[in-house]
Amino acid sequence: MIVTLAWRNVWRNKLRSSIMVAAMVFGLLGVVLMVGFIQAMTESMIENAIKYQTAHFQVHNPDFLINEELAAWLPGADDMANRLREMEGVGGVAVRQVIDGMVSSAASNRGVRINGVDMAEEVKVTDVAQSIIEGEPLPEEGRNPVMVSKRSGEKLNLRIGSKVVLTFSDVNGEVSGAAFRVSGFFDTPSSGFDEANVFVRRSDLVKYTGLEEAHEVVIRFTDGENLEQHRPTVEGIVGDVGGERGKVRDWGEVQPLLAAMMGSLDISNMITIVIFVLAMGFGIVNVMLMSVFERTREFGVLISVGMTGKKVLGLIVLESLMLGGVGGLLGLVVGMILITITGKLGMPIGAVAEGMGFYGVDTVLYPRVPISTYLIMMAMILLTSLLASLYPARQILKKRPSEALAEKH
Amino acid sequence: MTIQIERLTKIYNPDTDFPITAVGDVTVEIGQGEFVAVMGPSGSGKTTLLNMLGGIDRPTSGRVLIDGEDITALEDKELIGFRRDNIGFIFQDFSLLPVLTAKENVEFVMQLQGRSQRECEARAMELLTEVGLGDRADNVPGKLSGGQQQRVAVARALAPKPRFVLADEPTANLDAATTRGLLDIMQRLNEKEGTTFIFSTHDPRVIGRARRVIVFEDGKITEDRVQGEDRTE
Ligand SMILES: Nc1ncnc2c1ncn2[C@@H]1O[C@H](COP(=O)(O)OP(=O)(O)O)[C@@H](O)[C@H]1O
Ligand SMILES: [Mg+2]
Repeated sequence: MIVTLAWRNVWRNKLRSSIMVAAMVFGLLGVVLMVGFIQAMTESMIENAIKYQTAHFQVHNPDFLINEELAAWLPGADDMANRLREMEGVGGVAVRQVIDGMVSSAASNRGVRINGVDMAEEVKVTDVAQSIIEGEPLPEEGRNPVMVSKRSGEKLNLRIGSKVVLTFSDVNGEVSGAAFRVSGFFDTPSSGFDEANVFVRRSDLVKYTGLEEAHEVVIRFTDGENLEQHRPTVEGIVGDVGGERGKVRDWGEVQPLLAAMMGSLDISNMITIVIFVLAMGFGIVNVMLMSVFERTREFGVLISVGMTGKKVLGLIVLESLMLGGVGGLLGLVVGMILITITGKLGMPIGAVAEGMGFYGVDTVLYPRVPISTYLIMMAMILLTSLLASLYPARQILKKRPSEALAEKH
Repeated sequence: MTIQIERLTKIYNPDTDFPITAVGDVTVEIGQGEFVAVMGPSGSGKTTLLNMLGGIDRPTSGRVLIDGEDITALEDKELIGFRRDNIGFIFQDFSLLPVLTAKENVEFVMQLQGRSQRECEARAMELLTEVGLGDRADNVPGKLSGGQQQRVAVARALAPKPRFVLADEPTANLDAATTRGLLDIMQRLNEKEGTTFIFSTHDPRVIGRARRVIVFEDGKITEDRVQGEDRTE
């Protein structure tokens, strides 16, 4: 009976309750979309960083991490790579010689990191070659090919086949350099990465640096989940071959900013949700205060005929829970539908993508909200509705029945 | 069942410069099955007296004994249970729950008592039929006239089989014909169920229907008379 009574009381003032519900639906829609959008953006950033830049694990000489110089090479890099390739679940292991240098064309020049790679293995580790929009990846044959990004190509005024000069210091600290021919333009989602990297064959780079060894070993697993369980094996192999000279880092350690973003995702979502739920809570307090006060006399009657304070409290709490519950459920269901649709079709972010491009965000996002987030939101909404009813209930229960009966309403 | 009112006093704003003695030192006894009108002009203290009798207000001093039990000594919680099981209330403005049907309104207090749904329904229908609204059981109060609503209220008051019914100006919002109809019903139920009825009024036409009239003025009983019933049936 109390449940029926509460439900009918909620809809007694249809307009007021509907407005509250509508406010909750729109608010929740915004929150759900925002959470889904930020989730998608962060995931896109991380996915792209892993896909085009960091892969899953990287091994370096610890000295290289402090000062990226030619001399800080990684002992036994190729042996390490051979053994890592035999590990279960490994998709590819690239060995690179890397050096900071300068790329110059007739038009201009810029500082870049020169990556000396073995193309056949590199394609299994990062998707840079797959992002080529013009030309081809570094060919096996032919003299000194280089892959530059579309962006750098534009700035340096390059075309396929254009000649550029790469300069860097060699193993003796002498300035060295050579002419390379553009074989292809790559275009990854991150403009920051694109502008800072060029790729040449490792065998070519070795010729000019005078150093046989490599600086980094980069590992990609076929499945990106549960990476941490692979770490001990990777570290074991690296330790076996390189001893103290090989430091293993996962993508999060390579790009701590991204790892921090992912780590703070839950917190930032929670803050958004809490702010919404708080605002909603005040709305409910307001609605419940109005609804309860205009029924002061009615509560006086209920208490007079023998309804206990506990039951009156229960009635008011129930009404609030129903109001909040309906708004919350409706808002979350509509939000869920919208997220499912945009998650399937994708949400083009156009101009925003331009700005976010530096960090490697895709131009089309697929918003996603974990089921657990919906559940947490619903739980918080119900809890807040409950709390929001306590103050109005207390105001009524403070009154003596004769006082309540004497009220006009 | 007897109600003994002993030196009952209610003073509003006692600690101010203008204390109002709404009920002053009233002693009176009301017995089983009585049909009593408390008559007096507006402001004479009728509502205050009935509220104290019904345990919804506390006296400044004095006692109300119901079958020897001093209800003024009960805790708030005990008092709520006492009211639920022993006292029926009828209000001037009917005060039915607008979202419940007539039948649900009558069932309500019985459900608070924890009676079975079947029992509640049977009793509600019996009483609604008794007050002539058997066919309106599923109407919400908004769909009923004032007189009909007050008849539902009478049924609600009697549903939990209270020891007595308190009605504060039950006919004040009703026209003459409806008033007559309601009094007929109250009187019949008073006889049939043996329930004591105490109602207040300042309408002289209603007084004639009471067997006992307590005249109240300025918080004091000025007359307490038993009169012959002038109703013919
Ligand atoms: N809550 C209250 N506070 C102060 N005075 C009150 C209060 N309720 C009633 N009174 C006063 O007590 C007197 C009796 O009131 P009441 O019992 O309502 O009389 P009646 O029901 O006969 O009209 C009146 O003078 C009224 O103004
Ligand atoms: Mg009165």
